[in-house]
Parts: sequence; structure tokens; C-alpha cells
Amino acid sequence: MTIHSLMPAGQVGRSLPRLEARAKVTGRADYVHNLRLPGMLIAKVARATVAHGRIVSIDTSAARALKGVFAVYTGEDIRKHIPQPYYGPAFHDQPILALDKVRHVGEPVAVCLAEDAHIAERAAQLIEVEYEEMPAVFDEVEAMDSKAVVHDVLKPAGTFPDLKHLHGKKDTNIALDFHLKRGDVEGAFASAAHVFEHEFHTQQVMHTPLEPMVSAAEPTREGLTIHTASQSPSFVRIEISRLLGWPENKVQVKVPHLGGGFGAKLYIKLEALVAALALMTKRPVKWSLTMEEQFYTISKHATTFRIKSAVDADGKVTGRSCAVYWNGGAYADIGPRVTQKSGFTAPGPYDIDNVAIESYALYTNRPPAGALRGFGIPQLVWAYESHTDLIARGLNIDPVEFRRKNILREGRPQATGTAMKDAAIDLVLEKIAERMNWSAPFDRGTGTVLRGRGVGVGFKASISPTTSVAFVNIYADGSCALYMSTVDMGQGSDTAMAQIVAEVLNVQTENVRVIHPDTDVTPYDMATLGSRSTFHMGNAVKLAAEDAKQKLEAMARSVGVPENANIETREIFKKKYGMQAGNVMGVGSFIPTYKSPDSVTGMSDNITPFWMVGGTGVEIEVDTETGHVKLTKLINVADMGRPLNPNIVETQLSGAAIMQLGFTMFENMEYDAGQVTNASFADYKIPGIHDIPPDIENHIVLAEQGGGPFGAKGVGESATFGVSPAIANAIHDAVGVRLTDLPLTAESVLRGIRLKAGNPIGE
Amino acid sequence: MSEHAKSISFELNGSKTEMLVETHENLVELLIRMNLNGARESCGQGLCGCCTVIVDGSAVSGCLYPAAFVDGKTVTTVEHLDNNVHLSPVQEAFIEEGAFQCGFCTSGFILMTHQLLEEKPKPTDEEIRDYLAGNLCRCAAYPEIIKAVKSAANKMARA
Amino acid sequence: MTPFELAEPKTLNEAIALLDAEDPDVRPISGGTALMLMMKSGVFRPNRLVSLQRVEADYSRIQRGGDGTLRIGALASLSQIEHSGEVRQVAPVIEKTMRHLSNVRVRNVARLGGNLAHGDPHMDLPPVLSSLGAKAIVAGPSGQREIMIEELFSGYYETVLDRNELITFVDVPSQAGWSSVYFKCTTRSADDWPALGIACSLRVENGSIGDVRLMISAATEKLTRLVATEKVLRGQQASEALFERAGESAMAEAEVIDDSRGSASYKSELVRVYVKRALRQASVGATQS
Repeated sequence: MTIHSLMPAGQVGRSLPRLEARAKVTGRADYVHNLRLPGMLIAKVARATVAHGRIVSIDTSAARALKGVFAVYTGEDIRKHIPQPYYGPAFHDQPILALDKVRHVGEPVAVCLAEDAHIAERAAQLIEVEYEEMPAVFDEVEAMDSKAVVHDVLKPAGTFPDLKHLHGKKDTNIALDFHLKRGDVEGAFASAAHVFEHEFHTQQVMHTPLEPMVSAAEPTREGLTIHTASQSPSFVRIEISRLLGWPENKVQVKVPHLGGGFGAKLYIKLEALVAALALMTKRPVKWSLTMEEQFYTISKHATTFRIKSAVDADGKVTGRSCAVYWNGGAYADIGPRVTQKSGFTAPGPYDIDNVAIESYALYTNRPPAGALRGFGIPQLVWAYESHTDLIARGLNIDPVEFRRKNILREGRPQATGTAMKDAAIDLVLEKIAERMNWSAPFDRGTGTVLRGRGVGVGFKASISPTTSVAFVNIYADGSCALYMSTVDMGQGSDTAMAQIVAEVLNVQTENVRVIHPDTDVTPYDMATLGSRSTFHMGNAVKLAAEDAKQKLEAMARSVGVPENANIETREIFKKKYGMQAGNVMGVGSFIPTYKSPDSVTGMSDNITPFWMVGGTGVEIEVDTETGHVKLTKLINVADMGRPLNPNIVETQLSGAAIMQLGFTMFENMEYDAGQVTNASFADYKIPGIHDIPPDIENHIVLAEQGGGPFGAKGVGESATFGVSPAIANAIHDAVGVRLTDLPLTAESVLRGIRLKAGNPIGE
Repeated sequence: MSEHAKSISFELNGSKTEMLVETHENLVELLIRMNLNGARESCGQGLCGCCTVIVDGSAVSGCLYPAAFVDGKTVTTVEHLDNNVHLSPVQEAFIEEGAFQCGFCTSGFILMTHQLLEEKPKPTDEEIRDYLAGNLCRCAAYPEIIKAVKSAANKMARA
Repeated sequence: MTPFELAEPKTLNEAIALLDAEDPDVRPISGGTALMLMMKSGVFRPNRLVSLQRVEADYSRIQRGGDGTLRIGALASLSQIEHSGEVRQVAPVIEKTMRHLSNVRVRNVARLGGNLAHGDPHMDLPPVLSSLGAKAIVAGPSGQREIMIEELFSGYYETVLDRNELITFVDVPSQAGWSSVYFKCTTRSADDWPALGIACSLRVENGSIGDVRLMISAATEKLTRLVATEKVLRGQQASEALFERAGESAMAEAEVIDDSRGSASYKSELVRVYVKRALRQASVGATQS
């Protein structure tokens, strides 16, 4: 459903199916998962069994002795080939295989190689490691001043200026502290009519892409070719080159389709080990994780969020202080970016003059945490939209009315001081209220089934400043291809970007060939993450197509074709080259303007090139005897500017909301002494077809993004924002119970109901 | 091959086939050796359905099915549905309704839908959900999948 | 997984002879869905698996006796049972249970005998079959014996079967006059192993509970019959108050354990609520029939 009109060429705004649809429904789409190379070895790793411990010894003899094993390596073997074998996007803190000590259960300690995967797997089980256990820390707040220190020395990568001051720091688990201060927060609290203070928690969860993480490397005459299920081929090339001390042009990184990513396949994951192994063995090496192993590799941050608000007598929020603690696990991955980039939106989409924010990235002895569909935003919205609801209820104001009173409107400054632009927060809120029929009487249920409803609205800044480059190549027969390093992991970027090319060149989208990421062929892109591609790569693609169009027009002029002549493209080439020959290559490069936050105040007047806005409204039923919550209606609304392909973005909205539904209701990595105890689909449940509500609506508000390609911006994460607090708010509405920890299990709901009734359930 | 390997013969996508298989090899591993990539092992526990294969007319989880057990049986994979020519009504419906995103689980959903419509040509919403409850889609295209199953049922009823 | 011998006997007797009472690394395999999981995770590394795929077809037949009884071959697949008209006529609760038991693919492959012999307390069929009063016919080297389903399980993943015994048939007695329900309660996603299974069969005579069999699974270490709660019910007038009392009794009687699906104290609450609901629905069914 769209309210936007088609663009003139009829390509942008058109709901065509994905270009690769046929390949996907016939089982023939290309994934690294399918890849087999001649002479390929299969890698399987032995993993740490303690959360924090010095490696005393590693006995690989039984593994080596197993028939069919080609080689067994430990971290020390890697170090002989790569003297500084530590990688990571923010910190160079993660060893290719554990060195000296292990920092989380499941960390790779040794690797076995064989042609037969079963043999490699058996060999890995035969490796024996002796550890001297060390005290471990698992909780993000305890990590602030814990005696257990995960890294002896902090090693920032040098890429980000705001991490430089951490270089060489010792005896700390704080991998980034971000501070923001605007106005007079103390004054606001001193003069407040009401003060509200709450603490919220989120649990650690995992992306579980159905194509488990997989990478392969093959030695070539020139260097290395890496085939990888990665969302960031350009970064992989840069990081592998750095590790090997090679120029970028010796490393080729190729990415076909991805069987889901959601942030799990970002930056560098399995690529460093397969690259090292291919060089050491001089053979192609493939490493495929099992579903279980993914849980030891990357996850979404658990958080603690302390939020406090000052409210005046009219129900206007006058001050807010936020302290957010991000459980980053044993390796920083992109956690410090999450801490800052999401941290500055912690007070929510509200117009508050006096704001203080502290946001801390913390190392702990859990598996690493990174980006997961929202880059930290869903954790923040969970807290501030639950808190907002509690304030409204505390003041006896309708929750939607309270939001209207305080919402951040166009032109008003956000916490950083940046004035809001093209962020239709109010439209999103109003659309939800309209679709929920909010002002009409609501059926509250009877007997043991009580009904409730709730809303949640959130916003997100784009990761900045980042670069995208694209080529559009017009061939001599008039056909064309788009060369870009954006990775299509299901979000439909191949199709959307082809639509941009088609709109500019006035051709059918189906006739635009999209060349998949291959760093020997496709140009640089920062990564496919954070809903940045539509805006950044979309602009680069548009520029490249316009460049190609201008060059083609110039070529036409040079061979004497009159302006506006009705001539086929291939005739222009023929006139120019005398035969079917030549190319017209359009190049587009895009980096938006940006000002990083002041290192003391956290302020900036240009913090993001665009804002993403999303909100959710839900209706639920609670079984008051069991605590079961049944979602009966789910309404997702987003401002995405002008949708390039309305049908595809609509599935992005419901897909994001349903994924967040899992993180809200039941997904949870459970632990025993640092060991994840439910690392499989038997015990880590993700939403299935019975979990989705009977009534789902997706709405796109009428908006345009200034500076976006054809007014578009990213949308992959927006529908995650409001889901968790909307449901918690609805539970409160139904049964008067407030839950402050995710997931919202039936048990926690029933415990709340019984506690409130003065008849608590025993421990 | 180990000493326990067995020689089996079966019909694969309409062709008689003989293979030497390990007793510890599963059906997905065997199909990969035969260059069929449509059935994929994901959760490894029979819970996600990415590895769905049809054996003697019944859907099975290839990741939990010993390859040796297909001896004497008929095996059909997603690659057989279009024979490289015409898409099946189910495949067409999945495209038209946009019933997938990353596509990794799609083969499984499509094979299961074929089975469902063979058993129940006009399934209710509840029957669709019950039948597809053993297939997971992390992109959560479930609403579109339900629409696609109904649309495929209509296409087949018209045909 | 590591290599092993796969024996494929043609008769049940040959299969029994290939099993080994003393060797835990030799096991029978029928559908193999549960065994494959154990082998893939490395929990079980067999020397030899004895496949039952090729034994006599008699063991996969479903027959209805003239007296309303049912004999189900242990090698019948779960979907064969699900779609059997004979089963539906004798015990419709089995078909209803099947619809939400694991998934279609597992039901197509898994066999009844394996499902019972696995000893997993989270399975749905043991509480249902035992509430119907069913028994397993078991064959071993020294002949045949009969075991009531409710007595088949000796602990967590443990049964009273010897390593060289095989379940050959399950006999379900006539259900005339009985009404049966099964409630599967999940606490995470809708499709999950149950946190609690309650199966209840009862007869109502002149408004009173004539007889009742009440089974609990999943929340307890093994399938358990709630004997004391049955006593609370027998001979009493069927009423909401009685069902409440039975729920309280079941809550006190069942030895519920903690796991990731819920704490013991929460699951005890579920026992109380679901026993009440199961009795309510079964008694409605009994009154209507």
C-alpha cells in the first residue's frame, strides 16, 4: 500500500518482485554456503570451555593422529605467519585463534583441517586444553569496576578519533564512555513538579541468520580470494590486507547472496582465520559455522538503562538524565560505535531542554556483542518508551496525549543540538493512533482473558560519515550493469538500486544487471548496515547513472546526433566506434556532511544526514491464570521518505517487527558460568508462523527525505523500534503489571499479576 | 569412504541413480555431492525446514535423514519443480506475493506448500499455519507466505 | 558423526539377534529423527545401528478390533497414525495431538515405537496413550511381554526396556464411554517442547466422574500418573468446584522440576490451571457423547 506517486520513468515507486526471485524459488540462488572449490579443506575449531583463563597447554596429538586430518593449528602457529594476529573494526583486540588466554566460553582455541567435514569435526573434539581459570565478569554494571579485567591493555584500532584516548589504558573494562550534556539538568530536577526514575534491562540475543556464517579463502597467483557471507566486503579486504601487510589489490573479496545477515555478518568474522589457513596450507579452506557456533560468535548487547525525568505541572518533560551500560562481551566488535551512535538518542524523540547522557561500552566474559537490526536503538526505545508510558500513567494523562505534548517536532533541537529535519515523528504517532482507533472505547475483556493496548515510537540517526561508490556501465548494445558492493541479504537492495538506475536511464528495471560485490570489480562501500544503503549507496548509484547518462549524451553530441533525437543507444556507440564496441562508464561517489560530537559536551549541529522513524501499536490478550500474552493486532508505521519499492519495504516493516517480537517475548541467551546453555533452535526459540498475530498492518507516512535519492531513506530497522515497549505498555494496560526486563515471559507476567493480588508465587 | 560405506540405488528427480554413501552421511550431504544445493542444512535439528526433501512422496528433514535410507526410494528436490522451464503455481505465487526475502528457507516452504496443497487443496488459515509450523523464516515473511499459499491454491484450482 | 555399521535385517527376530543386551553402542533405528540428533551432537557414537526399515510389514499396520480396540504396529509412522481412519474412530484425541506434535516432516519419518522407547519426558504421545489405558507389546530374545505405557518409563530418558528388546505393537483398549483430552502448554514460542503436558480420560456417569486417568508429562522427570488426584475425582459430582479442587491436588501431587521453560513454582501453577481446564473440557466431551 503506498500513498506516494510513481516517478516519471515509472521505475522508482514501482512494486516489482525481486530481480533474483526466480533463482530463489527454484533453489538455485548462489550462497557461499553452497561453495565447493577443488582441493578444498574443511576447517572445524575447538572452542574454549572456560569463560576466562590462561592457556596452560594445548594437546593436539590425538587430533593430528586421526586418519584423514590434514593439519591442526593453534594461535601460536598463526602468530608465526602473522606476527600481530589481532583484528576488529573498533579495537584490534580479537586474536585469530586464542593467544595466551581465553576470554569467553566458545572462543576458538585450535583448528583442525581435513577434506571430510566429519573428520575435521571429530579431530576438533579430540583437542585437549588445560586452563588456569581466572575470575570472570558477566554483568555490564559489575564490569564498570570489576577486579576481573577482560583485556590487559586497550588497543583501539585508530579508525575512530573518539577512541584514541583509550590507547594503552589498563585495568579497565570500559571500551568507550560517551557523555552528553545540554542545558541545566540539575536545575530542571530541582524545580520539577514530578520526578520519575526507572531502570530497565534487555537480554542478550542472537541474529541466527538461517545461512550460518561461512567464509572460504583460496590462494591465487596474485594473493588471496575470499568468498564470504559478509555484509562488508570492502572492510574485509582492508582488514585482511592490514593483517597480512599487503596492499589492498592482492586481496579479492567476493560476496554472492546472503541467507540473512541482520548485523551478524558485519566487519570481519571468519575471514581472518580462513585467510591465514589458506596461506599456511596453500589450499582452499572453507569454514562453516553450525547454528550452535553462531551463538559463540556475535550477539546483540544486553543492557542496563537508568532513566530519570523531571516533569513540570503541565506534563511537559523539562529534564532527563540517562545512563546506559552496554554488555559488549569479550571483544569490542562495533560495540563502541553502538555506545556513541545510539547513545546520543537515549532521551528519545522528545523535546527536552535539559539533558545528560552517559553511555558505556563494557567488556565482559560473554560472547561478543555487535550490531543487530537497530544498532542499539531497540534497547533504548524499550527503556524510554516504557518510562514515557509510566510517566503518563503516573500523571493520569493518556499515553498518546502525553507523547503529543512532548514530541520532538520538525526544526526543534535533538539532544545533541542538531535541529530535526525530515523526521516525521508526529505523523508516525498520529498514524498509529488513527489505525488503533485510539480515542474510541476499548474492549478490556472479561473473566480470565483481559485485553490491553500500547504504543511505542522511536528514532535513529544514521551512521556517519560513511562513503559509497558505484559504477554504472552502459555497454555497446545499450544494455547496462550496476557495479556496487552493497550486499543483498534479503532486504532487496539489488532491486531497489536497479530501480534507481532504471529511473535515471529511462529503461526497465528488469533489464539492469546488478553485479554482486567483488572487490576486484565493484567499488568501495563502507558496509551494508544501519539502513544506510538506500540513502548512501542510493545517492552514489543515482550519481553514477546520471554521470553515465551525461557521458552518453556527450558522446551522442560528439558524433553529431542532434539534441532530443530519437536514436537507440547502440546506434550512438556504432557511430562512435564504427561497430558494436566501447563502454560508457558512469561513476558516483557519495559521502554526506557530518560534524562529530564535541568530545566534552557531546554536542553537534550536524549529527546525522537523516533520521529513521518507526513506531508500533499493539493490542493483546492476557490469560490471567497462566500469564500467557497473545498479540491480536500489530500496527507498524514508519517514515522512510519515498519508498523505492513499496511492496518490498512493506515486508521489511513486518519482518523487522516480527523479529523484534521474538526478542520481546522469548528469545534469550541463557547462561551457566559463562556457558550458553541454549545454543540451538531446540532451546533458543525464534518466531514461527504460529507466533505472528492474525492482524498485521504496515503503513508508510507521506514524507520525503531531503538529500535522499528520489526522496528515499533506509527502512530495514525502523519497525523494530517500538515493538517491545508497545507490548509491555499493553500488558500494563491489561493487567496493571509493569515489566522492566526483557523478555516478557508468561512466567514474569503471572508473577506480576499474583504479586499485585497479594498472592505471590514462590521462588 | 570407510569400510561401512553402502551402495544404494534410488530415483532422483526422475532419474535412476546409484551412489556409494557413508552410513553417517545425511541426505543433504549426499545431495550436495550430487550438485543439488536447494536443500540446505541450517539449524541441523529438523526444526527450520531449510533441508526439506521429498522421499517417496513425503516431506522429510534431509539433515536428520540417513542417506542410506533412500535406497530403493524416490527422492524429489526443489530443483525438480520447474525442470528448468516452467515454474510451478506455488513458485509463481511465492514470487507474486513477495513471500521471501533472503531466500534461504524458501525451497523448504515451497516444497511443504506443494505437499500441503496435495493433501488439502483448499486449506484454511489454521491448516496453513499448522502445516508450515515446522518451517522457520528469520526474515519473517510469514504474512506473505500465508498469502502465497492461498494464491497458489486458487491457481491450482483454476488449472 | 563417525562411521558405524548399519545392519538391515529383514525380520524382527533377526533384528533382535543383532542387538546386544550389554553394549550401549549398539541400538535399533527406525525413523531415526531422535537418534540422528544424538549422533550429530556427539552424545551417541554407535558401533552398530540395527535398522528396522526392512522388517516385516506387519509391524507398521494399524488394525481395529471388532470390540472397539486398536492395535498399532510400532513401526507405523506418526503421520500414518495421524491420518488413520481407524485411529480417529477409536481415539480422536490422538489425531488432535498429532497436529501439534513436532512438525510434519518429523511425523512423516518418526515411528511410534521409537517415539516411546526414546524415553524423552517431553513427548506428547506417552501421556495421551497412557491416559487411554494403552499398553506396549514388547519382544525380546526370550519372548514377548506386555507393559502398560504408564509403566514404560523409569526416569529421565530411561525406560524399563532391555537393550535387546523392541516394542512391536501398542494396544489401545476400547474407549466406549470415555472422553479424552490432551493439553500441551508451551511457554516460549508457540511451537516448542511443552513446559507441561496434561492428558485426561474420564467417564461421566449420572453427572459423576465414573472413572478417570490423569497423566502429567514434560514438567516432571518422567511421565507420571496423578493417582491421588484421580482419587479426589472418582465418584464425585462433576463441577467447577471439583475441578478446582483437583487442580489444587495435582499441584501438590506433581513433582515439578525447573528448566528453561519455567521455574518449578511457575509450572506448578500451570499444573493447577491446566488440570482444571482439561477436566472441564473432558467432562463436557463426556456429557455430549
